[in-house]
Amino acid sequence: MKTVASYNIKGGVGKTTAAVNLAYASALTGRRTLLWDLDPQGAATYLFRVKPRVKGGSQKLIGGKRPIEAALKATDFENLDLLPADFTYRNMDLDLARDGAKKAVRTLSKLLGELSGEYDVVFLDTPPSLSLVSENVLHAADVLVVPIIPTVLAQRTFDQLVDFLGDFDGRRPEVHGFFSMADRRKSLHRKLLSTLPTERSDVSATAIPALSVIEQMAVERAPLAVYAPQSPAARAYDALWAEVAELLG
Amino acid sequence: MSTSLNLRWQGRPTRAEPGPVLDCLQPLVRRYELSVGPRRVRTATYLDTVDWRLRRRGLVLSHEGDSLVLNGSSPARSEKVPAEITWPARVEQLAPGPLRDGVAEAMWIRAVAPKVCSRTVSSEVAVLNEDGKTVARVEWTEAACLEPARTDPVVRVTVHPLRGYTRDADRVARALLRTDGFEPAESSVYEGLLRATGLDDAETRPGITADMPADVAVATALLGFADAIRDNLDGTIADIDTEFLHDLRVAVRRTRSLLKICGDQLPSRLAERYAPRFKWVGDLTTPTRDLDVYLLELDELARSLTVGEPGDLDPFGEHLREELARERRTLVRGLRSKRFTALLDGWRTALHKVIETGKSPITAEQLAGERIRQVAKRVDRKARAITPDSPAADVHALRKRCKELRYVLEVFKPLCPPETYRAVLKDLKRLQDVLGSFQDGEVQSDKLRVYAQDMLDGKRPRAATLLGMGELLARFVRQQQEARHELTGALEKFLGAKTHARIRELLP
Repeated sequence: MKTVASYNIKGGVGKTTAAVNLAYASALTGRRTLLWDLDPQGAATYLFRVKPRVKGGSQKLIGGKRPIEAALKATDFENLDLLPADFTYRNMDLDLARDGAKKAVRTLSKLLGELSGEYDVVFLDTPPSLSLVSENVLHAADVLVVPIIPTVLAQRTFDQLVDFLGDFDGRRPEVHGFFSMADRRKSLHRKLLSTLPTERSDVSATAIPALSVIEQMAVERAPLAVYAPQSPAARAYDALWAEVAELLG
Repeated sequence: MSTSLNLRWQGRPTRAEPGPVLDCLQPLVRRYELSVGPRRVRTATYLDTVDWRLRRRGLVLSHEGDSLVLNGSSPARSEKVPAEITWPARVEQLAPGPLRDGVAEAMWIRAVAPKVCSRTVSSEVAVLNEDGKTVARVEWTEAACLEPARTDPVVRVTVHPLRGYTRDADRVARALLRTDGFEPAESSVYEGLLRATGLDDAETRPGITADMPADVAVATALLGFADAIRDNLDGTIADIDTEFLHDLRVAVRRTRSLLKICGDQLPSRLAERYAPRFKWVGDLTTPTRDLDVYLLELDELARSLTVGEPGDLDPFGEHLREELARERRTLVRGLRSKRFTALLDGWRTALHKVIETGKSPITAEQLAGERIRQVAKRVDRKARAITPDSPAADVHALRKRCKELRYVLEVFKPLCPPETYRAVLKDLKRLQDVLGSFQDGEVQSDKLRVYAQDMLDGKRPRAATLLGMGELLARFVRQQQEARHELTGALEKFLGAKTHARIRELLP
């Protein structure tokens, strides 16, 4: 079982849309796929029309008092299940810390281990922050997909993340940055889109365009490829999935 | 409800129009919305091995359009079929991937072939909650068999629960069952198709009973073996998989053993006339089987080389395949010959006659007691004469007697107390395994010498190939030595008081 985390310290950069569309693409290939919506806002959960509720909440789930399997929900799509968000996830940092400082950063990884026979790929949709939850995600992930808005500040945040991972002991996730909300009408966007992928091997040339069809996901409550499979944005996610699939091996 | 529930629709087929489902779910419309999907028509060819290895493990493999679909495993699998695939096919002919992994163990070395072909019409009703989320699916399926015979449609309505929403599926199932239209179905669509075509009937060979006249009992058992020879004939000739020939040979060996042990019960010198004919069939099939065994093991043997490389044995494999092609031609000619056809037809006719007119004064039970005792005594005598220095021929002779005892026990199994029978067979099998290993080591090393000489006389292989074969030879000789070493212990156990007491207990 491989783990892919959609992560960025910043919020509103396209993490959830990336996680949802990549998970859907993974399931389409026949891979048994799970998406865990770790964000208490529950956007990914909403997009799959699932109620944002986990019995026992974060505390019981993280503390191992309730089996993770009991919280899983089928989506409307074959091979794709969801571990929904719950508002109590806002306290997940505290719940993780209860386990003792030494093991606290590997708790999510351990929990996911219980599902290793059941899924081929797990996607983690993470809340924006650099917290204990984030650290857990970074330790659990094999591949980190990082949406980058083509701006200087966003590039700086990406550098900070890579530096932070550089200090990790042992296993580090493969970082795969990609452009999100790219607007080719803006000269700065165009400049970064053309230069950054050539300068950095961990940034893909694939760019998800800033299009209203992506915003429509919240209206359709479905992955992009379900209602606009031929749209440029859907094709861009397909290209991104092809890159991630290659990294997963 | 965590697994799908199959229901039988009591009414007439509807060509998968799910109207009755919608009617029955009306009481739930305040809670759920029902969404009817499009009708799908597909042709499905259901595949299994000749001995139903997939079905016995609850697996259903079907070829639908350009996909191969596996149900019964978790999760269900669907993969594109290689364009060049034809049925029957062995596992190595399927595309590598999770589906092949899912059937590999069940298929073993057997090929899957079409069992039934059906035209299936289906439609789906999605049950949606207030968020528009699907919480259960109801699938209406009507499948009519096209081959091997046309049948009326088998109708099944299946409630599929979704993970995390099993309560909703329960409500749907209860609503359907509350009406007169639906009742729980004991079988799936596939099982329904097999039943409709008569393929699900367990093979009903007439069994042996204790008070049956002895000649009828012997003829009944022999007819069962004759059926097995007939059933495996086409598969052997077509080379569907190597087990057809193996099973055919086992049936021939059983026939020959029973003729030897109980043939005197048959009238008009039947056994004397047919024993040499079945020996001919045995001899006809041996070279091909020997080569099959070698080739089945060759990859594993190649991997076991410690000095050479696995590829060193490639020319040896090529030589074996050439030999096999030649021997198979001889085998197929023999099995298609008038001589073989006349043998099998004449034999079956003669056996039927015995079954119809048999009037032996002794019963099957009496015969079983007498002959098991006789053969067991022979095994005992031979076994006691074996010492660590006994020549290989004596060990082989003991192996043959053990096989005879095994076959005679199997024939009279219905007359034996089941637990004692199992215990005796276990004791015997343990000894047979050691004897088999000894024999295999010798046969394979002898054969290997012949193959090496043949190859030298022919294309002159590379030195690495001959060296690799030399390593195999050493392995076979070592296997034989180890088996001989184990034999002393196995014999002591078999000749012990416990085994004897069990055999006595077995006898009427």
